Amino acid sequence: MATEQQYYYDDVVKRLVQFSVIWAVVAMAVGVYLAAELVWPTIDFGQPWLSFGRLRPLHTNGIIFGFGVSALMATGFYSVQRTCHVPLFAPRLAWFLCYGWQLLVFLGGISLLAGWNTSKEYAELEWPFDIAITVLWVCFAIVFFGTIAIRKIKPIYISNWFYGALIIVVAIVHIVNNLAIPVTFSKSYSLYAGAQDAIVQWWYGHNAVGFLLTGGFLGMMYYFLPKQAGKPIWSYKLSVVAFWAFTYSYIWAGPHHLHYNAIPEWVQSLGMVMSLVLLAPSWATMVNGIMTVSGAWEKLRTDPALKFIVLSLAFYGLATFEGPMMAIRSVNVVSHFTDWTIGHVHSGALGWNAMITYGTFYFLVPRLVGTELYSVKLANMHFWLALAGTMLYIVSMWAAGVSQGLLWLSLDSTGELSYSFRDIMASMAPYYGLRFIAGLIFLAGTLLMAYNFYMTTRSRETVKVKPPAVDPAFGVAS
Amino acid sequence: MTTFIFIGDMLVMLFMILVVIWMSYFESKERIDYTAHIPLEDEQTDG
Repeated sequence: MATEQQYYYDDVVKRLVQFSVIWAVVAMAVGVYLAAELVWPTIDFGQPWLSFGRLRPLHTNGIIFGFGVSALMATGFYSVQRTCHVPLFAPRLAWFLCYGWQLLVFLGGISLLAGWNTSKEYAELEWPFDIAITVLWVCFAIVFFGTIAIRKIKPIYISNWFYGALIIVVAIVHIVNNLAIPVTFSKSYSLYAGAQDAIVQWWYGHNAVGFLLTGGFLGMMYYFLPKQAGKPIWSYKLSVVAFWAFTYSYIWAGPHHLHYNAIPEWVQSLGMVMSLVLLAPSWATMVNGIMTVSGAWEKLRTDPALKFIVLSLAFYGLATFEGPMMAIRSVNVVSHFTDWTIGHVHSGALGWNAMITYGTFYFLVPRLVGTELYSVKLANMHFWLALAGTMLYIVSMWAAGVSQGLLWLSLDSTGELSYSFRDIMASMAPYYGLRFIAGLIFLAGTLLMAYNFYMTTRSRETVKVKPPAVDPAFGVAS
Repeated sequence: MTTFIFIGDMLVMLFMILVVIWMSYFESKERIDYTAHIPLEDEQTDG
């Protein structure tokens, strides 16, 4: 047992990566089916569980909590051990978290198909699942912060600050937003009413995007990008300043989801201004990432993992520029409630979250089992499929969204709406067709990756890796 | 509410300025270099 303790604990990391890939395939397939339903609405076959309203939260929850959170737990556990030079704290609890989380996502998905839904976006799961999320999240915190507490070196690397912020802030916003009065096992009512409920919901919703889909994945970037580039982060000081600026700004930005709604105007203005402020730490981080690769550009020709990560930074820059622009009220009047928002979300979800995760997994999976990637050719093919799918998706949704926004705002000489809602939706058909094709292309790439990983890890054990010797100048006195 | 937000903003700005001053004047170059290099020297492979 004592000997076992000397090695990093990577078995649970490998299993979480496998689950993350499975959820990516399942949830993206559901997304493609949803895109098909918007082209051929009758393919729900009159079945409630196949209806758009039930499948849509399954898609978003599967991507965020299945694919995204499993990937964050895997990479968080991998990096926190190494950056602290100690094996994982409480590995049995990590295993409990690993399987418990998958069971939660699976049963939660079934409940959504059954029609259990709080009607809060990204917080659709009903109260029994909310309690389970809280318990499992505490396990995540114990394993992660426990590892930091027993670290062998004094400095806490920047990636751990981001993963730590993810754990703390998501816990806070999840608990506060999901406070509810249960009526039955499958139904509860929010503790808040009206405008307050909306403000709390988007304080949660935007910070789920901010600290989970942005902050958590930035933690991934700050650890795995230097690893792959073979160079330290370009400016460590900038990364620390950007972390605090990011943490401070993001928490205020939620009300931009509620422009022109029945909430105080100063709350809307505050959300808008803080969204614009966010541009600074976001682009500081992007520049820091791109400059880290500078000097290692030749690796982009040969290393598919690095290609994915560099491309993800480009999409990160794009999405974090577009977001603040859409938060400006005069832009939001066109973009809100249109497919532009869907395009924006997917430039982040496909271009940033999925690409950085794929790049990280292409680096991680062969290392975990101590071999080469089964096929670099397939990985390169995946890269081009992912890029083509993402570009086609966001361009079609931008075109659809801007058209919708402008057509809805168009008035005739008598002040009546120039176009009916039905006419506008009918004109969306070509864009929705393109979106379906884009989703298929992206999903095809993900399937190639899943096959590549299966062949890479097939019948191979996890490699045992030891922490390095600690530099006495920076070691923690024991 | 405006005063509350203004004071809050100023406190956070003060914190950010202190972070920059701390990083610039009180953190040694050796420590920052060591920390930045952690991901590059964090494992020792067996076999």
